[in-house]
Parts: sequence; C-alpha cells; structure tokens
Amino acid sequence: MLAPLMIPLLVLGLTLLVFLADMAVSGDDRRGVGALTTMGLVGVLLASWYTPEGAAFDGGYVQDAFTLYVQRVILIAGIIGSLGSIDHADRVFPKRQGEYFLMMLFSLIGMLILPGAREIVTLVVAFELMGIPLYVMAAMHKRDKAGIEGAWKLYLTGAVSSAVILYGFSFIVGSTSTTMVAELVRAQPAPLTILGLTLVIGGMGFKLGAVPFHMWVPDTYQGAPTPFVAFLSVAPKVAGLAALSRLLLEGFGHFRVTWWPPLLVICVATMLLGNLFAIPQKNIKRLLGYSGIAHMGLMLLAFGIGTIDGLAALLFYMAAYTFMNMGAFLVTEVVGSGGSDDLSAWHGLNGRAPALAFAMLLFLLSLGGIPFAAGFWAKVFLFMAAWKAGMPGLVILGAMLSVVGLFYYLTIGRAIYIAKAQDETPLTPGRATAWAIGLCVAGVVLLGLFPNGVVEASQLAAVALLP
Amino acid sequence: MNDLMNLPWLTIIVMAPLVAAGLMLFVPGASKGPIRVLAVGASTVSLVGSLFVAWNYDKAAAGVQFREGFDLVPSLGIRYDLGVDGWGVSLLLLTSLIIFAGCFATWNLRDRDKEFYILLLALVAGVFGVFVSLDLFVFFLFYEIAVVPMYLLIGVWGSTKKVADAGPFRFLFNLLDVGGKEYAAMKLTLMLLLGSAFIMAAMLAMYVENGATTFSILELEQVEFSSSMQWWAFPALWMGFGTLAGVFPFHTWSPDGHASAPTAVSMLHAGVLMKLGAFGVMRIGMVMLPEGALWWAEIVAFVAVINIVYGALSAMGQTDLKYIIAYSSVSHMGIVMLGAATLTPEGWNGAIFQMFAHGLMTALFFALVGLIYDRAHSRQVFEMGGFAKKMPAVAVFFTLAGLSSLGMPGLAGFVAELQVFIGAWDSLFVAGSFWAVAGIFGAWVTAVYVLRGTRAIFWGKGPDMKKYPDLRDAEGVEWVALILLGGCLILFGSMPDLILSFIDISTTEYLQPLANSLADSAGDR
Repeated sequence: MLAPLMIPLLVLGLTLLVFLADMAVSGDDRRGVGALTTMGLVGVLLASWYTPEGAAFDGGYVQDAFTLYVQRVILIAGIIGSLGSIDHADRVFPKRQGEYFLMMLFSLIGMLILPGAREIVTLVVAFELMGIPLYVMAAMHKRDKAGIEGAWKLYLTGAVSSAVILYGFSFIVGSTSTTMVAELVRAQPAPLTILGLTLVIGGMGFKLGAVPFHMWVPDTYQGAPTPFVAFLSVAPKVAGLAALSRLLLEGFGHFRVTWWPPLLVICVATMLLGNLFAIPQKNIKRLLGYSGIAHMGLMLLAFGIGTIDGLAALLFYMAAYTFMNMGAFLVTEVVGSGGSDDLSAWHGLNGRAPALAFAMLLFLLSLGGIPFAAGFWAKVFLFMAAWKAGMPGLVILGAMLSVVGLFYYLTIGRAIYIAKAQDETPLTPGRATAWAIGLCVAGVVLLGLFPNGVVEASQLAAVALLP
Repeated sequence: MNDLMNLPWLTIIVMAPLVAAGLMLFVPGASKGPIRVLAVGASTVSLVGSLFVAWNYDKAAAGVQFREGFDLVPSLGIRYDLGVDGWGVSLLLLTSLIIFAGCFATWNLRDRDKEFYILLLALVAGVFGVFVSLDLFVFFLFYEIAVVPMYLLIGVWGSTKKVADAGPFRFLFNLLDVGGKEYAAMKLTLMLLLGSAFIMAAMLAMYVENGATTFSILELEQVEFSSSMQWWAFPALWMGFGTLAGVFPFHTWSPDGHASAPTAVSMLHAGVLMKLGAFGVMRIGMVMLPEGALWWAEIVAFVAVINIVYGALSAMGQTDLKYIIAYSSVSHMGIVMLGAATLTPEGWNGAIFQMFAHGLMTALFFALVGLIYDRAHSRQVFEMGGFAKKMPAVAVFFTLAGLSSLGMPGLAGFVAELQVFIGAWDSLFVAGSFWAVAGIFGAWVTAVYVLRGTRAIFWGKGPDMKKYPDLRDAEGVEWVALILLGGCLILFGSMPDLILSFIDISTTEYLQPLANSLADSAGDR
C-alpha cells in the first residue's frame, strides 16, 4: 500500500542513515555527512525510475507522471544544493554540518510529498514539514546579525502565512465538507469557499515570494548561507507551485474565473516590481533575490494560463530555473567567500577565474533568456502557451520585462568581463562546489541544446494533472 | 560532383565559424598564430561553401534549394530546416566576403584576441543562420545569436569618445556616460532585444493563427492570415526588425554602436548585421504578411525617406570620421527600406542589391577608418589633411568607397540606388515620385559630405604633418581586406548581373502573393 510513497520513504531512510552517521563521527571532520547526503539523493533519483504509479491513503497521495516529474526536479535541486553546501558548511560551521544536512533532508521529504498530496491535511502537513527545517537552516550563521535578521524574517512571514493558509483551508473544508482534492471538483462557488481560496492564495503568495508579500526575500537571501539560498530559491518554490497546481488547477479548476483575476494582479505586480527593483541593487544576493521574484511572476503567469500547454511550460520552467538559478547562487558563494557579496567583488572575475566567469555568464544569459541556454526555451514555451490561450498583452509585457532583466544581468556580466579587478589573486572553488556548478552548467547547456526530452516529459506530466 | 552536392553545405557554412570558435577555447590565449589560422580557416570554409552554393544553385529551377534539416522539438513543430533562395545566395556571399576580409582587418589586435575571435565567429554563425533558415523559430534563434555577442565585442574592445561637456542635456549625458563604449554596448543590446520582443509577438501570432502546428516559413507563407492580425503584426515586425535595420526613429543605437565598436565589428555590423533587419522586414514581414505590407507600405516608405535625408544631413554635421560613416549607414539603409516599400520588382531587386553593395562599401569604409585611426590616433576629420602623400593606397580605396556611396555609375552603389528610385517612381503609390525625388536629394547630400570628408582627410595641404608621425600606407595582410572589398565594388558595379540574376529569381517569386492585393488596389485608384 505504501509502494507509491517510495521516493519520500527512501529519503526518510536516507535521513535516518545520515543521522546515525553523524552520531558515529567524532571530531570536526564531518565532510562525509554532506557527501553521504548527496550520494544518497543521487541513489533516490536513480530509484525514481522504478517507482510504481498509484494512489495511497485512499487517494490522499497519488504518484503519477506529474508527481514524479516534480519530484525529480526537487531531487536534482537537493543534489545540487547538498553538493554545493559541503565546502561552505565545512568552512563556516564544521561542527554543525550534521544538523544542516539533516534539516535539508527533512525539508526534502516534505517537498517530495507535496506534488502528490491530493488531500488538504496531507498538503498542510507536508508544507510544514518542508517549511520548518528551512527556518533552522536560514539561521545557521548564528553569530551574524544579518543572518539572524534574515532568519527571523523568514520564520515570522513563514509562520504567519502558514496560519493564514490554515485559516483559509478551514473555510474551504467547512463550506465544501471534504478534504479530498478530487471531491473539490464538485464544489459550488459559495462565498465562504471563495474567502477561503483568497486566504490560501495570499498565504501562498508569502511562501512563493510574490508581490506584495515579497519583503522577506531580499533580506533573507542576503543574510543566509549562500548555498542554502541556492536551495531555498528553487526547491520550496517548485514544491509550492506544484501544490498550488494540485489545489487550484486540479481541484478548483472550475473556479478559474474566481481565482485568476486576483492572481493576475499579483503576477503582473510581481513581474514589474521584481524586475524594476533589481536594477539599483549593488549586493548580488539581493539582486538575484529580486530577479527570483521576477521569475516567480513569470512562473505564476505560466500557472495561471490553466491549460495543458501552460502547465507544461511551468514544469519546464521549473527544471530550467533549478539549474540556472542554483548555478548563479553557487558562483556567488565562491566569489563571496572572500567576504563581500558586493558587485565590486566581481570586478575582473574573468582574470581571476576564467572558467567560473564563463559559467556565471552562461547562467546570467540563461536567466535573461538568450538562445541555446535553458532559460530561453522556458520563456519561449511560456509565451507560446500564453499566446495560444489568448493573453497577448501579458506575453508582450513579459517579453519587454525580459529585456529589463537582461539589463541587470548584464551589469554583472560587465563587472565580470569589462571592469578592472581590485585584487588579482586567482580564485578557485572548492572541489564539491566546482562539481555542483559543473552540474548546473551541464543542465543549462543540455536543456538549451536538446530541450525535447524534458519538453515531452513535462507535457506527459501536465496531461496527468489536467486530463 | 554528385558526392559534393550531397554534403550538407549550408550546415557547413553556418557551423564552420562555430566549430572554429569551439576549437579556439582549447588554444592558449598567448598563441596568436593558431588563433588567426583558425579564424581565417573558418571564414575560408564559409567563403568556399558560399561560392559553391552560388555556383551550383540552379537558376532555372529557382525556389528553395540545398534543403536539409531535422526535427528539433517535434511536439511544437520546431524544425532545424535550412535552404537557400536567390536572396539567400547573394547575402551568404556578402557575409562570407565580409567576415573573410574582417579577419584580416583585425590581424594586429593585441588585447585578448582569443576571446575576440570566438565572439566574432559566433556572431557570424548567427548571421549565416538567419539567411538560410526556413523555420521561423530557428530564424529567431540565429537572429538572437547574432545580436548578443555585440554587447561584449563593443563593451570590451570598443573605444570611448568623450562627449563635450556642454549643452542643455550635459547633466544627463554625464549621468549616462554618453559616448562611452559601455553606454553604446548597453544601448545597442537593449534596443535590439526590445525589438526582438516585437518580432516574437508577431511570430507567435502567425504560429497560433495557423493552428500552432508548425513554424515552417514555407508552410506559413501559403496561409492567408486574417486582415486584422496582419494589420498589427506587420508593423510589429517592421519595428522589431527595423530597429536592427536602423529605421528612424529606432536608429539611435547605430551611430553610437558603430562609432564605439572595434574595426572588424563595425565592418560586420554595418556591413551585414543591419541587413539582417532589412532582410527580416522583407522576407518575414512583406512576403508572409502581404496584406499588412500593402496597408503600411506608404508609412514605411515615408519613414525610409526620412532615414535617407535625415541620415545624410546628420552625417554632414559630424566631425568624427566613424560617426560620419555610421550616419551614412543610416541613410543608406533608408534606401533599402524605400526599395522594399515600393513593392515593385525593381524596388525589391534594388533593395537587396543595395544591401549587398552597401555591405561591401561600408565594410571597406570601416576597414579604412580602422587603418587611419591606427596611424593617426585621431578620428577628427577636419584636423587632418594631406594624408594622401603618406598613404596613397588608403586614399584611393577611400575615394572608391566614397564614390560608390554617392552612387557613381560603374560602382555597385549606383546599380542599387538607380533601381530603387525607378521602383519608387514606378510604384502604384501616389507619393512614389516624391519619394524618388527626396531619395535623390539624399544621394546628393551624400555626395556633399563624402567628397568634403575625402578632401579634408587626404587631399589639400595638411595643417601640421608633425602631429601625425606614424602615418604609413597599408601593410602586409591589411591589403587583403582592401583589395577584396574594393575589387568587389568595381566587379559588381560593372557586372551587376552576377548578383542580380540571383536576386531577381526570388523577387519574382515573392512578389506573387502581393500581386493580387496590388491589382485590387490599382483598380481602386
């Protein structure tokens, strides 16, 4: 009966293993914990090809093509995130590495359940399982003021938004008298249901960092450990969007007239504000934070299209975004290891570390949507789906804002390639970080050159959710 | 021979620069020799390929030849699909000639030359790709590849010219660093990419209206799109591609960009890249959306006339040599757009031929400007004088390019301009004769600033030759670019049929869909 839950269960097993391993190690040399986590996750990713489809808990959890696709994206984000964290954890908090990786695994379990959750209580529990470990991870730099401030902001907004979401669900469950997503399809548009939906959308807006609930994003990104930010900026968003797809597209698809107008306002505001506020940023992590908000706007647009094409575009976007955004943050980690995340620390990077500089250029171009990088296809598929669904205005807005986006990505490119370096000492990333960045480069390039395989997978996944 | 015909020639032409760029990644940056050998080798392969394609293109059979390709994203109907028509053949030849000459013109580059050649070759691959793509989506992909490397090429290797700290806008100029290479690079990139947002909108509109099954240009050509869509999609394409073609008022990136760019980049950019824009307006806009083209033709022509006259007058007002040539490009691209807007066979032949002629001429101009700047360390035209004594060959070639620019019979520019003006005069539009007259006025202004500039630099007495101690004539490989481009100007000016015979094939074919609409509108008048 539990066979469909194989992937989350495997990660749970891995968590126990890592826990025991961490207990068994004495002393400060705990690099092995991170390595074990990474290898375990690779194993789970490979095992995902042998996962049986089916439902568990009377349909409260379903393992189908959609769940599997999202789970793979999350697992890849987990692999890159843990691999990229090894050097940082070993350098900054060597004694507490075990905690860090355990929290990451706990959070991953929650994320892996979310795409399959078709029952509201399961969804809420998985959401909290994902969220609470993230608060801990955000506070790993516990002697750093900015780090604590960022962690507080994440925690407070997270806790409040969870409460709001729960409150909203209470209305939905109360007015429809069911907790099963499959039965929500028959729900009538009662005022209480709509109120509940509004609250859920607002709470989700906090989690996803959509405007006007975005204030925590740049501060948290600035203060938290960079490899964690790489993970935070991708995996929870992917899982959250997947949960939102289950709830709004599968359950409340027939309410689209109700939930899309407010979401449309949020989506347009998110695109506009994310792009415009990114321009004056001088701190790279803040800049990438705002750029992440802008991308979230685009992903919400893909989500709101509500067609199979739109959902497939969203799923492809998730995959591309995982590689390019995590890659950009990991390079930031290497450059920031000198102590400054300021743009001036990037001056002349090309002379100090040519390979790293080129990788960053690739990520930036991909984020900006330049051809033969993953991000280009993501945007194109999204715009194509939106146009087909009759939203030309949004396509034009999105395309023009992409140009704005390219402007601030190129200011980083300018710093790397054109500006003169202040110190010329060569910069070498740690071995694990270099591998993680290499994975991201491979992902961006392969998705850019041969998008077809993932396109087909994303379409299959979308059909599974929206038959 | 048959075996040779079966090779994927178009892919070879497009990919040779990319392969060379890839190989360069593994060459140490300090070894200048191998890098140049690779660059010249790749451009030779492309040149030979283009000549082969031109030689073996069956003019009797016409249409699209050398088809090749495979499915890229079958579920969305995206296909890597290549093939050439008559226009494609002539523009392939132009591109390969210019990149071949361009590799020699930057032979003496010293700073980070490996990266420079990698980006330059990537850009060229994009240009080749646009001219041979038969899939709208792949067309767009190559178009973007051609545009993006410009940012780094200008930002890193460009030159900065300080704008005088005067005038009502000096605060703004200082704030934006107007005249700086980074300002120019950023302005160019952002304007062109904003243009491509419009192109993408029109492209998606065509794709979706046809049922979202294919991006094939040949298939979409057969579709009769609704009037309302054509009515807005054509101007979107015109503005989008027109930004790259330097259409007024979207041309402002071009003087800054050309003036700041290094020699080979200016050559390629003014010589070929701007033609991508005009080619896009004609091949995608006018051929695929004939009704929209007819609706907007008079506006397009009117703006083109502004381009011609305004570009020429602006060139007359400049004192910086590179700005003069850059504004003259704006003026000459106006002639291309005017030819396109006439919707007559002469006008279209003239437009494509003008792309060809202006490409050669402006590439030669920028190569010479690079040489002059290298020797004189100045671009201020009116501080020079008497340079012909020290650099006679440069003077001769500059005069040659100038004469072609002002439309001297016997040189390539004349053939093009004559056809465009005849086309304008013959066109069905009431204002046609006015356009021709205004265009000829523009050509006259061109004569004024070109001859004045040539005299100021090369002839007459110099103010003080001691100011320019390094003056010397072209040397070594620098001759290659000058002789090749100058020779082509004379060759195609005296025997225009070498290229016109290719161009005419496609023009006849592509004007067919317009013929019906034109006949209707002729009946109305």
